[in-house]
Amino acid sequence: MSGLHPYTQLALATLLPALAWLVPGPRAPAIALAAAVALVLGTPRPLRRLAAVAVAAAPFWLFLFLLHPPARAALVGLRLTTLLGAAAWVGALLAPGRLVEALVARGWSARAAYLLGGTLAAVPLVRAHARRIGEAQRCRGLATRGALVTRLRAVHALVLPLVLSVLHQLDERVLALETRGLGAAVHRTPLDPPADSPAQAAARWGAAAACLAALAARIA
Amino acid sequence: MPLRHIALIPVAVAINLALSALVDPTGLPLFLDTTGTVLATALAGPVVGVTTGVVTTVTNSLRNPTFLPFVVVQVIVALYAWAAARLGLFRRVATSVPAGIGLGVLAAAVSTPISYAVFGCATSGGVTLLTLLGRRVGMSDLGACAFGSFVSDFGDKTVTFVLVAAVLHALPRRTAARFPLALRAAGRT
Repeated sequence: MSGLHPYTQLALATLLPALAWLVPGPRAPAIALAAAVALVLGTPRPLRRLAAVAVAAAPFWLFLFLLHPPARAALVGLRLTTLLGAAAWVGALLAPGRLVEALVARGWSARAAYLLGGTLAAVPLVRAHARRIGEAQRCRGLATRGALVTRLRAVHALVLPLVLSVLHQLDERVLALETRGLGAAVHRTPLDPPADSPAQAAARWGAAAACLAALAARIA
Repeated sequence: MPLRHIALIPVAVAINLALSALVDPTGLPLFLDTTGTVLATALAGPVVGVTTGVVTTVTNSLRNPTFLPFVVVQVIVALYAWAAARLGLFRRVATSVPAGIGLGVLAAAVSTPISYAVFGCATSGGVTLLTLLGRRVGMSDLGACAFGSFVSDFGDKTVTFVLVAAVLHALPRRTAARFPLALRAAGRT
């Protein structure tokens, strides 16, 4: 499964929750969930991933049983757990770098590919920066508890330095992108595009057709 | 799209995803997960704002796919923020507070049907408790869901708008000059 084209992995991960939602009754979500669990069992460290899915799904099940009769709670819970299971499977196999290569190979511009790749790289950096700012402000004696006004002042004192500093670093990012030729209006050639095959393309079209058929049956 | 705007989007998405943990020690029920979207819109316009919102949802969904159905909320937030910037509502706290409350109402109106149809209103502990409370006082299922969404949204969006207004006013002249729309939105032209 890890050798599949990223588009095929995404199509399969979309198909299971889509069918779980579109086909009426509890049987389809139960089968889709079983399929998602089987897929996760084929990934490295499957038990850890399944445990993560269970931990993510548990609050939803609790809240659903608090809010709804058991039959509806179970139906929505199965659908949500299928969604989480399918995402755990695709998250285990899909490398962002391979997806970017696949997008560029299919004619997407390098800028569009950067939006995904650049974001995945920026998020941990900004989170680490946020942690440092939080620790620095607490070292300076910032009060984060107490009256509402005190807490709101703390929000201001934590957020502003982070946002202003990342905006200040924007010039460096722009320079880096210009240096790497992202400003040039030329199509890039991917270095190592993921392999695709007619069978995988047919499987993707089949997945799309199954979703449309389920949607049509649901509407009818 | 200019390269500066392309570079801004991942940064704005990262702001969306980093602020919640940063303000966690205050104990306030704030997500601030649209701050980057509102800021990107005020700085660079609606296309950048909408793209920031969509990329935020996609990135968040890689970790937790239950965010995916709410992509439309991010789009609405960006369009609302664009209208607010055009109307000069970021110029003063006195105007950004009601604008934020308005966004809270709009965001709740958009997210309620999604929350009800897809998640049965069980999106988070706070919303579930508020929905239960709404039912106890005699609201319908959908009404209780809307009540839960509104109460959890309006404070968050109000703080978001005030923070973005504060950032626009605190931006150094040199940085602000690279975003003419931001200067206009903050009334610094």
